[in-house]
Amino acid sequence: MNGDIFAQVNLPRVYRRRKWVNNIILGLTGLTVILAGIPLVWIVIYVILKGWRVINLDFFIHLPTAMGATGGGVTNAIQGSIVMVIVAAIIAIPLALLIAFYLLYYPQTRLGVAIRFSTDLLSGVPSIVIGIFGYALFVLPFKHFSALAGGLVLAMIMLPVVVRSSEEMLKLVPKELREGSLALGAPEWKTSLSVILVAAMEGVVTGIMLGLARAIGETAPLLFTALGNEHYDVFGYIKQGIATNQSLWEIFHKILAEPTDALPLTLWKYAQQPYPERVEQSWGVALVLMLLVLLLNIGARTWLAWKRRQTHG
Amino acid sequence: MKRTLIVLTILIAALALAACGGGKAQPTKASAPTQASQSLQAAAPTQTPAPAESKAVTLNGAGATFPLPVYTEWNQMYPSVQPNVTINYQGIGSGGGQKAILDGTVDFAGSDSLLKDDQYAKMPDLQMLPMLAGAVVPIYNVPGMDKLTLDGPTLVNIFMAKITKWNDPAIARLNPGVNLPDQPITVAHRSDGSGTTEIFTSYLGAVSEEWKNNVGVGKAVEWPADGIGQGVGGKGNPGVAQAVQSTPYSIGYVELAYAKSNNIPMAAMINAAGNEVTANAETMQDAMAAFANAFDERLTAKIVNAPGEKSWPIMGYTYLIIHMTENKDCAKTKALLDYIEWAISDEAAAKKAEELGYATLPAAVRDLVEAKLHEVTCNGQKVLQ
Repeated sequence: MNGDIFAQVNLPRVYRRRKWVNNIILGLTGLTVILAGIPLVWIVIYVILKGWRVINLDFFIHLPTAMGATGGGVTNAIQGSIVMVIVAAIIAIPLALLIAFYLLYYPQTRLGVAIRFSTDLLSGVPSIVIGIFGYALFVLPFKHFSALAGGLVLAMIMLPVVVRSSEEMLKLVPKELREGSLALGAPEWKTSLSVILVAAMEGVVTGIMLGLARAIGETAPLLFTALGNEHYDVFGYIKQGIATNQSLWEIFHKILAEPTDALPLTLWKYAQQPYPERVEQSWGVALVLMLLVLLLNIGARTWLAWKRRQTHG
Repeated sequence: MKRTLIVLTILIAALALAACGGGKAQPTKASAPTQASQSLQAAAPTQTPAPAESKAVTLNGAGATFPLPVYTEWNQMYPSVQPNVTINYQGIGSGGGQKAILDGTVDFAGSDSLLKDDQYAKMPDLQMLPMLAGAVVPIYNVPGMDKLTLDGPTLVNIFMAKITKWNDPAIARLNPGVNLPDQPITVAHRSDGSGTTEIFTSYLGAVSEEWKNNVGVGKAVEWPADGIGQGVGGKGNPGVAQAVQSTPYSIGYVELAYAKSNNIPMAAMINAAGNEVTANAETMQDAMAAFANAFDERLTAKIVNAPGEKSWPIMGYTYLIIHMTENKDCAKTKALLDYIEWAISDEAAAKKAEELGYATLPAAVRDLVEAKLHEVTCNGQKVLQ
């Protein structure tokens, strides 16, 4: 009798209904994917459309002209951004990796929990607060705004991003790899650097890229530390330094001790200027900033791909 | 193995650099005058201690955004006058500039608003020097209307939300023959604290006791129009201009320089002497001349609602803040004083300022500033002869 009951259910109809529902839901999810993609594509296209007109070689290699005048460039901002991000990377990346390894090996110790908690807190601190902190710590005592102070606050912004992403990536490396390496007699530090770190390299680099992108896009903390500087020109300082027989240290000092500009800072400043030329240039700055982040990402990915090809023959 | 070594070396190098980085800022304090500004001019001899004039000096200043366009312009021009002096001015707002000079993190500050008594108490040697004046203009957007004249009381009543329609008799009386629409007025104002708002409300307060007592004068006020839903806020001059341009039948206020460079229709005003004036170099000069004797012992003055025949009524000075006595690096102090003297007296500099919609100091005020400059001391010594 049971068979009869099943026979009474109209199977094709049920299937048809399910197929219908499936298609609707699939369509909806597809739609959300498109919706999620729209802002990104929109931003990219809009910035390119608004910004490409002012982009030329001068834009990259010249210092700004006076307001209201056309021409000139934003090399001060490009150089300042690069200098500060390099400072931030030099400080934040090794520190973040060391912290990530600590969290990997001692996840449940009191210190480990405290560190994880405080990195989470640090990543939640509004960047403007970090800026004021940086002002009190790196500017006030020396009575001088500087590229170095800007780099230091960017390092503070970068640090938690890199720590947490690296930790997650290191955790994904199978325990057996580590045990195998230790069993073969490799010391802990060597295991960490040439087994675990290498195995997790891809994810770690992605995390670093995220951190760099975050740092290079910050405006608020730089207001209090780097200040801004339309005359910042690393090549100019080097040229001048050589012409006046300065030591390498003096030139280096000049590069780091001067107030400097940054791309997002310039974007923010230009966008609120009364002069249409400046506003147009601010779109160009936005485009350069976007390209720089893109370039960083592509560069890192290419490097990783190249490395993978090398190791795997 | 090799890779390990490389990675290790990089790690160590990075840490070492980071450590240096921490200490590196130290010399800035100890020897900022010599180190930070040491890049001597190419031609100057490097070994012998050069006289103050030939040493390269970088001056950092920050503050008001109102004069930023003209300061930037001047800073671009100045190297042709003094090749060794680089001046960096950043517009971080008047409040930010005041804080920076009190903290000692800048060599000079720019400010539209006056230092408070407690700030003078903290640093009694701070001196405000008027540099330029700027005008604030009412801007409007009424389709089909290309001329608008207002007077003080009418402007007050519009911003008080007492006049709420464009065809109000008070406006009609000032604009005979103009076809005024029967439309509600939308009032656009700054949503952020601003020196522009301070100048504008100073004027409204000078015209109307009621405004002064009930709304007040300052960088940010409670706009009565907001209370009846006819107000709209915008951030910065661009925000207000945007609000006015995108809202038909609206009125707002921006700096003259902004309205000029963006071709926004501006209203004419009936000034205190009863004459119709538009904002331009002549009417601004007239207002400043009318108030040339209004400076107090701190060298500050309000110049709204000037009594002159041709005076533009909505104006304010913008100031530089410098130290009078607490100067340690005389080369820097000298460079700063020279720069200020050049800025207020050079013809090319004045021409630039006027092109940009600012008014330069009348001779009487310039004399006051120059006298102050000559009083500045460094380590107890007069800096300018």
